[in-house]
This record gives sequence, structure tokens and C-alpha cells, in this order.
Amino acid sequence: MRQYLPFVVIGLFTGAVYALAAAGLVLTYKTSGVFNFGHGAIGMFAAYVFYHLKTAWAWGTVPAIAVALFVFAPFMGVLLDRVLFRWLGSAGLATYVVASLGLLVFLQGLAVVWKGGNTYRINPFFPTNTFRVPGVSGVYVTVEQALVVGIAVAAGVALTAFFRFTSLGLRTRAVVNDRELTSLVGISPGLVTTLSWMLGCFFAALSAILFVPSLGLDSVLLTLLVLTALGAAAAGRLTSIPITMAAAFAIGVGQSLLVKAVGTRSGLSGLPTSLPFIVLFVILFFARRTTFALPSRAQERVAVVAARRGAAGVRRMPVAQLALLAGAALIVPAVVSGYRLGTATTAVAMVLVFSSLGLLLGLSRQVSLCHAMFVSFGATNLSLLLRSHVPYLPALLLAALLVVPLGVIVAIPSIRLSGLFLALATFGFGKLAQDVLYPTSLAFGARSLASVPRPAAFRGPVAFYYLVVAVAFAGVVVVELLKASRLGRTLRALADSPTAVESLGVNPVASRVIVFCVSAFLAGLAGGLMGTLVQSITPSSFDFFLSLLWVTVLVAAGASTLGGSVLAAGLLVVVPAVITSTKVTEWQPVAFGLAAMIFAQLPNGIMTLVRMPDWSAAWQRVSWKAHHQHRARERHAVGGVPAGAAR
Amino acid sequence: MLVLDNVHAGYGRFEVLHGINLRVPAGRTVALLGANGAGKTTLLKAAAGLVPVTSGTIRLDGDPVERLAAQKRARRGLMLIPEGRAIFRDLTVRENLAMYAGNRNVGAAVDRAVAAFPILKDRLAQRAGSMSGGQQQMLAVTRALINDARVILADELSVGLAPVVVDEIFEAVDVLRREGRSLVIVEQYVDRVLAVADYVYVLHKGRVALVGEPEQCLRDSVFDQYIGAGAHS
Repeated sequence: MRQYLPFVVIGLFTGAVYALAAAGLVLTYKTSGVFNFGHGAIGMFAAYVFYHLKTAWAWGTVPAIAVALFVFAPFMGVLLDRVLFRWLGSAGLATYVVASLGLLVFLQGLAVVWKGGNTYRINPFFPTNTFRVPGVSGVYVTVEQALVVGIAVAAGVALTAFFRFTSLGLRTRAVVNDRELTSLVGISPGLVTTLSWMLGCFFAALSAILFVPSLGLDSVLLTLLVLTALGAAAAGRLTSIPITMAAAFAIGVGQSLLVKAVGTRSGLSGLPTSLPFIVLFVILFFARRTTFALPSRAQERVAVVAARRGAAGVRRMPVAQLALLAGAALIVPAVVSGYRLGTATTAVAMVLVFSSLGLLLGLSRQVSLCHAMFVSFGATNLSLLLRSHVPYLPALLLAALLVVPLGVIVAIPSIRLSGLFLALATFGFGKLAQDVLYPTSLAFGARSLASVPRPAAFRGPVAFYYLVVAVAFAGVVVVELLKASRLGRTLRALADSPTAVESLGVNPVASRVIVFCVSAFLAGLAGGLMGTLVQSITPSSFDFFLSLLWVTVLVAAGASTLGGSVLAAGLLVVVPAVITSTKVTEWQPVAFGLAAMIFAQLPNGIMTLVRMPDWSAAWQRVSWKAHHQHRARERHAVGGVPAGAAR
Repeated sequence: MLVLDNVHAGYGRFEVLHGINLRVPAGRTVALLGANGAGKTTLLKAAAGLVPVTSGTIRLDGDPVERLAAQKRARRGLMLIPEGRAIFRDLTVRENLAMYAGNRNVGAAVDRAVAAFPILKDRLAQRAGSMSGGQQQMLAVTRALINDARVILADELSVGLAPVVVDEIFEAVDVLRREGRSLVIVEQYVDRVLAVADYVYVLHKGRVALVGEPEQCLRDSVFDQYIGAGAHS
């Protein structure tokens, strides 16, 4: 027993950091209805600001920390609330998820551009000398550990007291309860929300800066602090700050004890870091639908956006565009060769990835943040099947099919709750898979490598290119067929008004799970192809961070049409291949993150602005008679209400 | 005094109010009647700032307020008690009263509330949403009593309440009238509201169809057409 006590001490320290991060996350979610995936990234960037002030400007530690905490972080809060969320306006839940992901990718990319991708060591702020815990022999605690735990506990008590006893706290709770009534009472809900964003960002910065001396200044690890806070936030049902903080301490201690228990067993080494997601999954699995009520503002906004989103989604098969695309793809080998053909092959496979992702993001407004994992498993499954001497083409299909059960595991518990939880669950699961599943023999195994030999028939680059084109084209056609099908209509309707669809006797969960599985299958298919292209992949080939990047690229380019998927693949794959400067790859995440924030509210991203030729509309413009017949039908169908408003 | 002059308002591209003219003189009570969907609630919301006004002016004691946010109009003495139970359900009764009181003395607000509705005295520490519907509505009406808003817009105060409770609510409305506040009341019990109203406005499809004093209206056949002959029997 005694040998575990030092690990409890370490666990309390990390738990304190998680508690501070989670408290800020829950605070902003409660008051604004926005679940901020960029919460960790804000803290991370505040830590970079601190580092810059301290090293480049040679400030003292105290003023540098003070500026990062009390100037930069609150300023970020104001910027988010007054600029980003005001710009997004009355958007739906998926829009907020995507915009905050954009923020995450943007800030993380910016930190890398600013200071490079290295991890910097930072000297401890607090004395590191140890003292004995009175009454417990053999357990030593550093002053730093004691202070950080003290800060977290004090912050928890202060927050609770703030809500319970101050008039601003009362007003904040009033806003959480009923935004509209608060304004009718004469209090600006906007002001209260801004203040809570300032406070939330402050907590993000505080947790990151306190963590930096032990973790190092690392843009990825600090950004992922939001992931670790997830489990605790879910335990607090995204509303209770005391429960959230207590759960964060428990997770910190649990992690630390797991480190001790797992020891050096290599297969289980990912288990401790995955504990928050395991907690998240257990909670999602056992939660009832009513456990997690959406804040009033989120509900309001979803209702408003439903009325506004008229143009989202294609209703007919874009036959002309498909033909054009296939024609263009077929002549590529005549134009390019060598490594450029390799780039083209990747781009075509990425069109399939984006098309499958668009099925979720664009059609049913579901956010999947583990698409890279599906792609990765598509490749590793193929590798395993080929090793068992399954012929290539059946193996490719089977490999993709085997990805589907994974999709089911992630989707079912979360989809029945709400769209936000699918995003949370996939976010957590992507990381969990990378830490726990990838090292097993089900994926990469101990060698961390999966080789995917090319079949003899497709050994040549041109032959393989055509195979990828054929499979990707078939996949894209499936996606477009699905969009135009009854299921597609159901999903579009579900994105607008789940209640209305349920009242028609349609099971919303089943429809959403089915489309999620189709999407996972197609992503797995693309993964098999991309694995075969490079012939050997590693766990980092499709790092889970890629999932986030893909979502931002697709949202920026346009998630609900084929054109958007093509544009996304072009921006991500072709642009850096054409302009071969390291600057391009460096600035890509920054640009995509920013673009995702800007275009998140448009139903089809940039493609909303680029009008694709719509043949039937063009026909209506040309033919006066067809136009008026069409208008008359529309007017008739909705009883005299202007057509656009009724959708 | 509240004056709406040619007010157009609606939700997005849906225009609900097509040019409303309405005058609520100081200390007077206006009954706002009309069928479902006539625009009564939208009119009150537009006046209070919850629905944007696309054109026209709204003047509160002579000052245009149609561009002000809801909370600013509230601070100038224009109060809307929206339909449903307009209370903070997750806060206690005392906390609700503290919210209503704003910068004023909370103790005095509690006293005033308890004087009007003695039953609230035992409920002060209770979560407001856990009270009965009638008690919740009493709490909602208390907001007008403890606030010195000059113009009060009340939307369907009696909906879903037992007749005894409706009596109590209307007693409170009477108190507000005697205090010299201006009131706009949307109400399903036409007779009850006509008994207290100085003027009647009948809305039809987003337009004012009829204006007059209650007795005058009751004699008007047009009134019967809009409200239904049986409604005030």
C-alpha cells in the first residue's frame, strides 16, 4: 500500500491541473452553450505568450505569467465571445463544434509557426524542495505540488462561492437558466457571457502554465489538455463545477496509480493516458438521454439555424459533375508522372475520405473526429488480411468492412445522447485508439509498422492510380446516391428538426448510426488504398490530430457537396505539392483553422460562394415556362409562403 | 406612455406585424385581443425588444426605443411578462426576487412579494421550478410589483391556471392599475380583461382590425366577428 502513496501525490498534482482546465471548460459551456474544443489550445497559447515574454523579451517570471493570465487570456475570451461567436451568430451545435475545432487547429498551428514544433523546458516557478507529509511516513511532497493542489482547491471553492454568494454569480446562473428572461429583467446576458468567457480562458491559461514546468512547453500536449478535461467534464454532466473538479482529481490520481500498476508492461503503456476517455465512455454508455440537457441558448440557436439553412445539401445526383470529375481523373496520367502521379493518387483517395466525412458533416451535421483512425485501421486491416493470403481486392473490401464495428462502438452510446457527444466520443476515441489499440497485434503490433504490399496487377503507378480512381469513384457515387435517397432526406430532416422526424415514426438513432457506419467503411476503403500507395504505414501516418485538420479543411472547403470534397483534397494535398515550400505546410493548419472559423456557418463552406453550374436551374432560367411552372408548384406546395422560408 | 407607430416586425423573412399603430396612455390599460396567430405575442415581444423591428418607431415616454436591446428597454421601465411561467426555474424564490429587484433592496422586494402573495413566504428557499403552476405565476407577476416599471406588457397571465388562482393574479393586476402603471394585457378570458381595460385593440393577421373602448367594442358587430360571439357571454 505504502509504495502507492507517492503516486497519489503525483496524481493529485496532475488532477489539480485537470481540475482547473475542466472548470473553465464547464463554465463557458454552461453560460454560452458552446463546447470549446479549443479550450486547451487557448491555455497552450497563453503558455507560449508567457514563454515569449520571458525568453525573447527577458521579462521576469512573475510579470510574464501575470500578463499571460490577466491580460492575454481574458482578451482571448473577449475576442472569442465578441468576434468569433458574434460572427457565427445563431448557428447550430455542429457549427460551434467545428468553429472551436478551427480555433484549436489555428492556435496550435500558429504556435508551431511562431516557436517551432520543439518542446521547450521551463524551470519550475515554485521551489522544488520537498517536505514530509505530517503523519504519513515516507511520503514527500514538493512545494510546487502542494501549491498547485492548493491553487486548484482554492479556485474551486472561490468559484462555488462566486456562484452562490455574489450578485454577478447569481446573474450568471440566471443566464444559464433563461437567457431571454435575464434580458427582460434588465441585465445584459451578453455581458455576463463575455465575463464567463474571460474567466474560462483565464482558467485554461492557469492550468496550462502550471503544467508547463513538469510537461514542457509543447503545443500538442498542452492543446490536448482539453481532452483530459473531457472525462471530468462529462462526470460533472457539463454543468456541475464542483463534481467536475472532484472527478478531475480522481482521474489524475487514477492515472498516476495506473502508471504504477502497469509498470513497464509495454502493451499497456497507453492505458494511463487513456483513463479520461475510458471515464468518458463509461459515462456516455450509462447516461440517460435526459442526463445531459443542452443549455437553453444552444437549443434556441439550433431552432433558428434550422430555419436559415435552406441551401444545405444536394437533392439530386450531380451526374454532370461526377462525369466531369471522372473524365478529369482519367486523363491525369497523360499529364503527370513520377512522384506527381503519387500526389494525384493521394488526392483521389482523399476525395473519398472527404466525401465520406462530408456524409456526416454536411448531410447529417454529425461531427466525427476520428476519421484518421478509420483510415488507419483500413490500412492495418488490409495489411493483416494480405498477410493471411487473402487476395487483394476482397481483402480491401473486407478490411474496410472490419472498420465498421469500431464505428458502431463509438457511435451508438454517443449518438443516442446528442450531436455534441458524438464529437466528444470520437475525439476521445481517436486518441484512445492511438494509445491503446495501435500497439496491439490488431493494428500495428509491437513493431509499430504495417506493410501493405501492392498486388502484382497494380504494381505500376499508372495501374494503381486507375485502381484508386475506380474505387474512389464508386465510393463517391455511393455517397451521392445516399444523399439523394430516402435515408439522405431523413438525415437532412434530422439535422433540421429531430423532433419532427421522430414524430413521423422514424428512429433517428438508427439512421444516424447507419450513415456513420457507411462513412467509416468508405474511410477504411480509402485507408487501404493510401496504405497500398505508400506500402508501409506507422501509427503516426494517420495521427489522430489529422482527423481534426480534415474536419477544418472540409468545413472550410464545403462539407455538403462533391465539389467541396474535391476542393478540400486539392487544398490539402495538391497545393503543397505544387508550391513546394516548407512555409506552405507550416501555414496550412493556420489557414485551414482560420477558414473553418470563418466559413463554419455557411452550409457549404467556400463552395457556397463558388456557384457550381446547376443544370436544372440553368434550364429553368433558359426556359421561362419551366421556371414559372416550378415556382408555381413551390408556392402551391407550401400554401402561399415564399419558397425559401418554408424549408 | 408607450406608442407604436407603423411597426413592422417578424422572424427572419417572415413578417408577422404589418404596420401596427398602438397607443398606451400613461396609467391606462389596453386589452390586446385577437385569434391565434394574429400577432399578439409578437407585438409584445417586438415592443420589449425580443423580436427585431424592421421599420416603424416605438416610443417610450417620447424617446424612440426600437433600436435598444431588450435589457436597455427593461431598464427604462418597459417590462414584458412573457407567456408561460416567466421565472428562473433553477434559482430559488428568493434568488428570483433578487434578480427582479436588480439594484434595489432585496429585503424590501421580498416583503412586497409576500404582502401580495402570502403563500410565497414559505417558499423563499425552494427552487422556483418545483412550485405549483399557480405559485410560479404569482412569482412571475411579483416581478411587476417590486419593479417600478411604468409600462407592463403581460402575455397570457392566466393560461393553465385554476380559476381561484386567476382571481389572485387579476387582483395583482388591479393593484398595478391603481398604482398608475400602463398595462397591455393579452388574455384569453376576454370578459375579465374587458372589465379592467380602458381601451381594446383587436389584431387580425398582423394588423389592427379594431380599436375602441370596451363598451363601444362590445356593441360592434365587427368585434364579434373577430373574437367570436360566444367568447364574452
